[in-house]
Amino acid sequence: MKMEDMPLSGPDNTKLEALVHEIYSDLVEDACLGLCFEVHRAVKQGYFFLDETDQESMKEFEIVDQPGVDIFGQVYNQWKNKECECPNCKRFIAASRFAPHLEKCLGMGRNSSRIANRRLASNNNMSKSESDQEDNDDLNDNDWSYGAEKKAKKRKSDKNTNSPRRSKSLKHKNGDLGSSVNTESYKYNYNTGINYETLGPDELRSLLTTQCGVISEHTKKMCTRPSLPDGDAVVESDSYDIPDGQALMSRLQWEDSPDISPTDSASSKASTNHSDSRRPKKKKRASLGLNSSGGGGGSGCPIGGGSSSSSQSNISLSTKKKRPKLPAPSIPNIYDDLN
Amino acid sequence: MSPAGCSHVNGYKVDNWKQNLRVIYQCFVWSGTAETRRRKAKSCICHMCGAHLNRLHSCLYCVFFGCFTKKHIHEHAKNKRHNLAIDLLYGGIYCFVCQDYIYDKDMEQIAKEEQRKAWKLLSVISVPSHLCFFMSTGIGEKYTTWEPTKRELELLRHNPKRRKITTNCTIGLRGLINLGNTCFMNCIVQALTHTPLLRDFFLSDRHKCEMQSNSCLVCEMSQLFQEFYSGHRSPHIPFRLLHLVWTHARHLAGYEQQDAHEFLIAALDVLHRHCKGDTTHDNGKKANNPNHCNCIIDQIFTGGLQSDVTCQVCHGVSTTIDPFWDISLDLPGSSTPFWPLSPGGDGSTVNGESHLSGSTTLTDCLRRFTRPEHLGSSAKIKCGGCHSYQESTKQLTMKKLPIVACFHLKRFEHSAKLRRKITTYVSFPLELDMTPFMASSKESRMNGQYQQTVDVLNNDNKYSLFAVVNHQGTLESGHYTSFIRQHKDQWFKCDDAIITKASIKDVLDSEGYLLFYHKQFLEYE
Repeated sequence: MKMEDMPLSGPDNTKLEALVHEIYSDLVEDACLGLCFEVHRAVKQGYFFLDETDQESMKEFEIVDQPGVDIFGQVYNQWKNKECECPNCKRFIAASRFAPHLEKCLGMGRNSSRIANRRLASNNNMSKSESDQEDNDDLNDNDWSYGAEKKAKKRKSDKNTNSPRRSKSLKHKNGDLGSSVNTESYKYNYNTGINYETLGPDELRSLLTTQCGVISEHTKKMCTRPSLPDGDAVVESDSYDIPDGQALMSRLQWEDSPDISPTDSASSKASTNHSDSRRPKKKKRASLGLNSSGGGGGSGCPIGGGSSSSSQSNISLSTKKKRPKLPAPSIPNIYDDLN
Repeated sequence: MSPAGCSHVNGYKVDNWKQNLRVIYQCFVWSGTAETRRRKAKSCICHMCGAHLNRLHSCLYCVFFGCFTKKHIHEHAKNKRHNLAIDLLYGGIYCFVCQDYIYDKDMEQIAKEEQRKAWKLLSVISVPSHLCFFMSTGIGEKYTTWEPTKRELELLRHNPKRRKITTNCTIGLRGLINLGNTCFMNCIVQALTHTPLLRDFFLSDRHKCEMQSNSCLVCEMSQLFQEFYSGHRSPHIPFRLLHLVWTHARHLAGYEQQDAHEFLIAALDVLHRHCKGDTTHDNGKKANNPNHCNCIIDQIFTGGLQSDVTCQVCHGVSTTIDPFWDISLDLPGSSTPFWPLSPGGDGSTVNGESHLSGSTTLTDCLRRFTRPEHLGSSAKIKCGGCHSYQESTKQLTMKKLPIVACFHLKRFEHSAKLRRKITTYVSFPLELDMTPFMASSKESRMNGQYQQTVDVLNNDNKYSLFAVVNHQGTLESGHYTSFIRQHKDQWFKCDDAIITKASIKDVLDSEGYLLFYHKQFLEYE
């Protein structure tokens, strides 16, 4: 029966239904035909079987669902030694410590701007020796915590905060006060192109026992000022087999800046709205280097970040991280861990 | 001559064959206008049996239509020795000598051109602008799949090893190294790289960079997708991404553990700003108006929140619509009271969530979010109708839903008196229907239709969960992990560098901090 002959309306709805059904099946058939043509063409043109993959590749990328391994079949926590190149200073930084490094490197941490401002102000107004002392205080304030943070880990491999001035201050603490030291300090020679990461422990020890070794933040050159004998050499060497830890610690205690209070280091208790861009707390730097082990509060933000991977690598800094200077206040803790 | 063609067409390719073929395509195969369609419908019937369908073919040598199924065209071919016919439905050329459809390069070229012309004429079809990215010239263009050239075919045949993304494949998944408390960033990156539309945009290489320097975040995002689909097993180190985000969103910079939600908004903002180069595809007009940007970020993430302030005296309503990228929902247990809900709120279990003896659901939170709120005598609004300060009620509803809806459960309380994390369990569904919270639903409610019958056929507001970001720990210190969905029904847990398979139950039982839902059906605008 032709379509045109069927009456559409009427008490008998079956005709309408039949019509509807016929249209529907025609549409479906046409769609199927279209698909058949596509496949036919693909086969004839030779690209139908192109996306078939070989068994080997299939197995290679199969998802693994076993306890103890991830979906690639790899054991957890094997990624401790990853490194990356800082886009700013072009140095190679351990990946798990990249964020704190970057903050300093870009000068955008809360304290970095404060240091920078003070440095600028003091450079303009005051004499160099005074400014050095102030900056020392700043650096000491910001970079280390006192008291509260028991699990201080090695902060990071950032050399930017090391400056010639810091070594001078240590000289002061050692009792070698005198203007002679200060004036001498201006006659530095600078070596270029030293990358502490690439030097071995022996090389480094010999280097640092003879020279200052501090890398300037601004010029990126290494200071070749001959180092003073005795305690200084010990302080500046990077090996941690320092015989008289107690004496060293008492020397280093002197570096405590008077205006730091223990409460400041408990920065997590300070409350600010986490979405504020300004974070007015002074000592939140205290949380640096405490990325793992759950410690280290931020400014009360809903925070997260601690993977525990960095805890182990922080301890083993004697060979890896070549510093011309020891991060002073955290040393007591590190010694505890090492002992 | 390609193997797909045949030598028998050579007899046809004489004189004015190209033009003849074009006419056939224009009149009887691809109909671009209503008249041609009518003409085709009227004239295309089998000359032997009068049928309209049955795979009608037209002879290429003379004016004859015959159906294929009843073999009428075959008879004609045999009788007249006209060896070629064209299928009027799809335009394929059939050779009776080869007894198969053949694909001749020249003829296919003509067919393609005519088809394109016809599609261009079909201006009634509008294409959603975000899909414009996938079409080379814009509206009215049929999307054609990729076909390899001869050279490519050769190469592919010589190199049979393939990486195919099947349902059991790890390609598309990759761990991310924690750079020092950057798990908040890693979770957001996982969520973004598993947003289907965003993934399609970047994998189709649709970003055209206009930034001179190397600091375009969108380019970095594109690179990130390349890394995720590279098949590498070792986790990726997103140090460049961190550097770029901190450079462009200075307020975020700082090594301390940060909020994932804050990072999401900042990242979307920077991406949106850097997407300028991609907004020229909208009919060639550049989107100069920042409020009406057409970049991929706005296409996917931007919704409209309608705020109605009703004067209690004259009942005049003042409406504003604000764009949003996420919806922040208060939770019970915070210092602001959660219950009671709005009057007239439907007590039915929407979205199939079960009320397990009082556990809060996402729908509860949404209902609270969209409830009419009496503003109180201390917050009188100047009413345009009464010209005086009056008390009013304010109500928020969704005017326009984004394609990806991100719900932010406000678990971190920072009021003056206390700072804490609210760990109340909020159950969220796998599928979410946002219809009750739309502005349009509210209007019909106000018009007296209290009970909203759920329209099963209306698919506009149906969403599916595809990513969940969770926070474990306290306000001071904690860790972010995420669950993401791949291949329709597979879920994976992303804990920085460790990706493991997860069950749907794991996902739905988790606490939930950021919930990402994707629209199920993309409609034409």
